[in-house]
Amino acid sequence: MTMTMAATGTSIWRTTIDSALVLVILAILPQVVDPYQTVLLTYGLIMAIAALGFNLLLGYTGLLSFGHSAYFGAGAYLVAFITRDLGAHSMELCIVGGMLGTLIIAAIFGFVCVRHTRIFFGILTLALSQVLWSLAFKFFWVTGGTDGIRVPYASLTLLGGLVDFKGGGSFQRFIYAYYYYVLALFAVSTTIMWVIAHSPFGKALQAIRDNETRARFVGISVRRYRWIAFMISGIFTGLAGILWVPLNGLTTPDILYWPFSGEIVFMSVLGGFRSFTGPIVGAMAFNYLKTYAIASTEYWQLLLGVVLVILVMALPAGIVGTAAQLAAKRGRSTK
Amino acid sequence: MEQRNVDRRSFLNNLGVTVGAAAAATAIPAMKPASAQTPAAPKGKIPDAPLRLGHMTFLTGPAAVLGEPSLKGHLLAAEEINAQGGILGKRKIETITADEAAGTDANVKELRRMKLSEKIDLFTGVISSGNTPALGPVAEELGALTIFVDGCTDFLWDKAVPNPKFAFRITNIQSADGVTCALAAAQTWPQVKRIAHIHPDYSYGRNAFDHFNIAFSKLVPGTEVVSEGWPKLGTTDFTAHITKAMSSNPDLIVSSVWGGDYVAMYKQALRYGMFNSAKFASTIAFGVAPHAIGKDHPEGVIAGVHANYYFTFPPGNRWPANQRFVEKYYKRWNEYPNFQSDGAYHTLYMYKTAVEKANKLTGGWPEEEAIINQLEGMYFETAAGDLYIRPDNHQGYKDAVTGFSKNVAEYPFQILDPARMITIPIRNITAPPRWPKPGSGHNDPTATYNWIKETWPQVA
Repeated sequence: MTMTMAATGTSIWRTTIDSALVLVILAILPQVVDPYQTVLLTYGLIMAIAALGFNLLLGYTGLLSFGHSAYFGAGAYLVAFITRDLGAHSMELCIVGGMLGTLIIAAIFGFVCVRHTRIFFGILTLALSQVLWSLAFKFFWVTGGTDGIRVPYASLTLLGGLVDFKGGGSFQRFIYAYYYYVLALFAVSTTIMWVIAHSPFGKALQAIRDNETRARFVGISVRRYRWIAFMISGIFTGLAGILWVPLNGLTTPDILYWPFSGEIVFMSVLGGFRSFTGPIVGAMAFNYLKTYAIASTEYWQLLLGVVLVILVMALPAGIVGTAAQLAAKRGRSTK
Repeated sequence: MEQRNVDRRSFLNNLGVTVGAAAAATAIPAMKPASAQTPAAPKGKIPDAPLRLGHMTFLTGPAAVLGEPSLKGHLLAAEEINAQGGILGKRKIETITADEAAGTDANVKELRRMKLSEKIDLFTGVISSGNTPALGPVAEELGALTIFVDGCTDFLWDKAVPNPKFAFRITNIQSADGVTCALAAAQTWPQVKRIAHIHPDYSYGRNAFDHFNIAFSKLVPGTEVVSEGWPKLGTTDFTAHITKAMSSNPDLIVSSVWGGDYVAMYKQALRYGMFNSAKFASTIAFGVAPHAIGKDHPEGVIAGVHANYYFTFPPGNRWPANQRFVEKYYKRWNEYPNFQSDGAYHTLYMYKTAVEKANKLTGGWPEEEAIINQLEGMYFETAAGDLYIRPDNHQGYKDAVTGFSKNVAEYPFQILDPARMITIPIRNITAPPRWPKPGSGHNDPTATYNWIKETWPQVA
């Protein structure tokens, strides 16, 4: 099975040029669209990082996690604890602290989960994420319960204190500054994930996905590779949770609850989990889909459900996968 | 501070807790309907661009039975105002709705969309106390003029937005809810000692629990909480909580479960005979759309309405604003209003009045600042009585009510007995302006909790 166009022969230069082009477009967009679209794009980029992390397990390792809300939520709550209890204001500090914390949680949860595959793996990840959810929900004197913990963007600084958001009218400034901040981290994350996916380690994961027994015969330590993939996946999703907090303004147990894990799965399936860029496109698309579904009809849950059903029936390869198939077909017919 | 021994009856009299007819006798009926007064011609040039309003409430899920009437109240007011040509005779109201059931995080996003993308002039609605503390700060940072219909947690003004500029709220503050329920229970069943609690596991449930307990323990010495049940909000199965409460052998069961959750809970409690085994007092049982409560609901229990409003009270033409409102609402929706309908309906009229007053001073369509100035300290006639918007915290206050459930022939559902309504002057059960907030001098749950603890005498 082919993972990406790039992996099957398209030159690395082509990928670099394409990515650079996309980045330039993303960088220009806030100058032409209204502020709210910039907010939505920021949400989209953040969710794209989460879905990228998730897809290292699903698309590359063949493990369907139904508990990635745990790492997203852990990252988010760690930011809240760092700002509230340690009084820190630096976003970079929150990122480092949050990622370390998420790594520890992912390491522990992963250690338990990778002993199993398929449905058992899925159920285990789900169960463990619900443990975190119930802790956040029940220990309200620590976590604020359903009220969550407020993290006002105005209390944070970016780039080690160079950019702050004190004073009036700071929300507009925050929107733009934070968009570029997230865009930079998105670019870095995507690059790192691309390198991981195309490294020998990434190839080993794909081998495990395609045939576990054969991979073991080749000498790959299957469980250890899965565990490492699990941790990387958790950190990426955790980073997304960290970046999401200042934008949302508070943490709530909803981001630890299982339907949120479902949303991450939805995004990857929507974009196409068989390709590298699928989860990115899926996360952006889902973000718009849900926002505008809620805004336009009280039957938004129904709408999202119908979309999912259509997707599975008509576009099993997702948006990116289907687009690639169409492009390939057209390429053949013109030859 | 003077802490002399007082007996319960004289203390309740001091608080002005009155039942039924006596309450209305002190109220002075407004002789002329506010909406029927012919407004003076607006000053200056008024643009005729429509006003864009956002209204967020529960349109789906078990909370919709309590939240959806908010939208109905809002739409009724908007239609009436538009039929008169709009606010200041020019600007008609266009409403954008959003489903609060999408969750707090999605609601934050939606408020931003409404303000930044749809350019709304006023944001209203919001039912859950889990949402206002998230949306209040967002409204402030966006500079979006907001009048919350509910979500009445003290936490919003105590902690989340301590110095509001753009955010207001119209329904009574939440602490008044638990206290009202406690006063009603203490007055009705002063012999109870063992109390079991069933509350939704989020800020509202804990607020009701705290304030019921502090007020009740001041009024009835030697009480004991024998059981606590904390079902998740949106739960439909209450059997574990019902049986747990019953097995603790309580004299009184107190609950703040609301909306569709409450309808499910009381039906299940009937099966277990819960209402026969103990007295029952709720802060918000009859807060739902009135027709959601069946005739099978137990009679004679304290069935609160969030300390705000029930459509049968004051009955007849004793408070004409209520009679008019109920008639119009019934005519439009073929059902009776709840306290959210009253809140949302009068939110719009209060806004309209503020704009008209500001227009008289400044001419033209007034600046937002001028509208805010008029809202602060406004005294306003609603179906639920006189409403006062306190300038220090932008919170609406009106006399608190609760009552007892009763089946009558006129309605196909159970109602609150208008002859037995309990009315309490609001200033006697809520912390005064500038009372220290949590975190400044004390760490009690709310300013009102601390105020009760510090200033109410202990009944011997």
